Amino acid sequence: MNSLQYGWRNLWRNTRRTGITLAAVCLSTAILMASYGLMDGLMQHAVSNATNLVVGEVQVHAQGYLADHSIYKALNEPDLILEAAKQKNVVAAPRRYGYGLVAVGTKSAGARFWGVEPASERATFDLAQHLQEGRFLSETARRGVVLGQKLARSLQAQIGSEIVVVVQAADGSLGNDLYTVTGILKAAGDSIDRNAALIHAEDFVELFVSGDRIHEVALNSRGMVPLDKLTELLSIAAPEEEIKSWRQLMPEVSDMVNLFDAFIWIFGLIFLLAAGMGVMNTMLMATYERIREFGILKALGATPWGIIRDVAAEALVLAALGTVLGTILGLAGSYYLQQVGLDLSIFAGTYSVGGVAFDPIWRATISPKMVLIPAVLMLIIGVVASLYPAVLAARLDPVKAIHRP
Amino acid sequence: MTVTTTHWKRSLSLEMWSKGKEKSLFRILAPKKEKGTATLRSGNDIWNYLPKVKRVIKLPSSMMAASWMGSHFTNDDLVKESRMADDYTFKITFSGEMEGQEIVEVTCYPKPDAAVVWGKVLVRALRREYLPLFIKYYDEDLRLARTMTFSQVSQLGGRLLPAVVTMVPEDKPEESTVIHYQKLDFDIDLKDDFFSLRTLQK
Repeated sequence: MNSLQYGWRNLWRNTRRTGITLAAVCLSTAILMASYGLMDGLMQHAVSNATNLVVGEVQVHAQGYLADHSIYKALNEPDLILEAAKQKNVVAAPRRYGYGLVAVGTKSAGARFWGVEPASERATFDLAQHLQEGRFLSETARRGVVLGQKLARSLQAQIGSEIVVVVQAADGSLGNDLYTVTGILKAAGDSIDRNAALIHAEDFVELFVSGDRIHEVALNSRGMVPLDKLTELLSIAAPEEEIKSWRQLMPEVSDMVNLFDAFIWIFGLIFLLAAGMGVMNTMLMATYERIREFGILKALGATPWGIIRDVAAEALVLAALGTVLGTILGLAGSYYLQQVGLDLSIFAGTYSVGGVAFDPIWRATISPKMVLIPAVLMLIIGVVASLYPAVLAARLDPVKAIHRP
Repeated sequence: MTVTTTHWKRSLSLEMWSKGKEKSLFRILAPKKEKGTATLRSGNDIWNYLPKVKRVIKLPSSMMAASWMGSHFTNDDLVKESRMADDYTFKITFSGEMEGQEIVEVTCYPKPDAAVVWGKVLVRALRREYLPLFIKYYDEDLRLARTMTFSQVSQLGGRLLPAVVTMVPEDKPEESTVIHYQKLDFDIDLKDDFFSLRTLQK
C-alpha cells in the first residue's frame, strides 16, 4: 500500500475533523480565487477605463515631441505606423496638436487644439461617447468643435455657441476662424478638461496650415494584443520614433495598478496563512490521536522518513481534495461575479480614484493565473503545514509512545 | 517687420499709433491673409480684431507671454515696454568712452512690487546723441534672455532716430524679428476715443 492510499484511508478515520479541515481549505481557496478575481477585475477596469478613454495602450510621437509639444515635431512616417497597426487589426488614431486662443464674446482662454479623425476615434476610444452635452464631431469637417468641460465653463460656451479661434499657424501666419460648439466633454482628466478643443483633422490642417504633419498615433487594441507585442510591432514599424506605453504615459495609473497588485498578494498571503493553520491544526490533532499507532509502527521498524512521508502524503491528499473542491467553488463564485458583479451603486454612483472613473458594478475577471496561483499555493502550504506534526511523529520514542494512555 | 524663425520667414507691414504710456493701436497692412488684423492696447488690456471672422477678442492674461503676431515680441512687451519708467529703478553703471564713442550704460532693476518678467535690463546708448545702441534683457536668474539692437540712424519725423530695431532671442540666435521704420510722425493730434474698439474694427 503506498503512502497516498494510506493517507486517504487515514483521512476518513475521523470524518468530522477531516470534513472541517477540508471545508477550511476549500473555502479559503474559493475566497482567495474570487477575491483575486475581484481585485484583478477592478484593476483591469481601471486600466481599460484609463486607456480606452483617450490615451490608448501605446502612443507614438516624434523624438522630443512630448518635451515641448512643438507643432514642427511631427512623425516621419505615420502611414507606416497606421499600416502596421491595421495588419494586426488594432485601431490606431492619428492626432494633430496645436495651441491657440478660443474666445466667446468677451471671454477668452488658451486652448490645445486636437485635430482628430472622428471615425477612428469612435472606433477605438470612448471619448466620442464621453460627452456631457451635445454630439461628437461629425465625419465630415464642418468647423465644429468639442470642448473640455472646464474650458467650456470658463468661456460660458453652450452647444451651438460660436467661438472665435485664433492660432499661430505652422507657416507663421495668423490662423483664425469661427467654429460652432457641437459638444462638451464629461470630466476626462484635468488637462483635457481645461485645454482641449477637438476639431476635425481637415479643419485643423486648414487652420494651422500644418500640411500632413501628424503628432501622435494612439493605438488601442482593448486588451486583444499584449502590451509588449504592441510595442514591439511599433518599434519595427517606426524605429526612430518615441514609443510609449500607457504605463509611461500615465504613471499615476500605473502606480495604482502596482499598488493593487501588492494588495492582492498581501490579501492572498493572509488567507493562505489562515488555511495553512487549519491544515496544520488538523494534522497535529491527527498525529496526537495516533501517537500509539506511530509508536507501534516505529517499533515494527518504520523509519522516521517513512513516517514523515506518510503524514505529508496524508496532508497532500487532504490539501489536494480541498483545493479541487475550492477551485470548483471559486470558479463558480468568480463566474457569478464576472457575469453579475457586485452592485456598489447603493454606496456610491460613478466614483473616481486618481482621475480614473469607475463603474458602480464591480466585476471579477477569470484568468488561468488567478485560478492556478491560489490552487498551487494552497497545495504547497497544506503540505508544508503538515511537516511540523510529521516531524513530531517521526521523533517519537516508540516505548514511551506505546505506553501513552 | 520681418520675422525669421527656424521654420519660416515672413514680412508684415504695419501701421501703428500711440498716445502717452497707456494707449496704442497696431494694424496689419500686408500680407493679404492678415490685412486688417489689428491690436488695441489700452492700459493692461489687449484686444485683437480679426477681419476674417469680423470679431474682436480680448486677450486672456494667460496669453500675455505668448508671441505677438508670431514675432519675438510678446503681448506683454506691448503692455510693459512703455511703463519701464514706473516699474524699474535706474542706475548709470558706465559712462565714458568705449570703442571711440561716448557711451552711457544704464542698468535697470525692477522695483520689488513691479509685476515684470525681467530680472535686469541693460541699456547702452550714445551719450551725446541720446541714441540707444542696444537693450539686453536678463531673466530672473540674471541670464541674458534676448538682445534688442538699434541701427541705421536716420531722419525720421524730423528727428534723428535708429530706423531698424532687431530682436534676437538668446536661446535661438538664428532667429530674429527686425522692425524697419519707414515713416514716423510725432505730435499728431489723436483723441482718446481714437483708441477704441470702434477704430479697431475699421
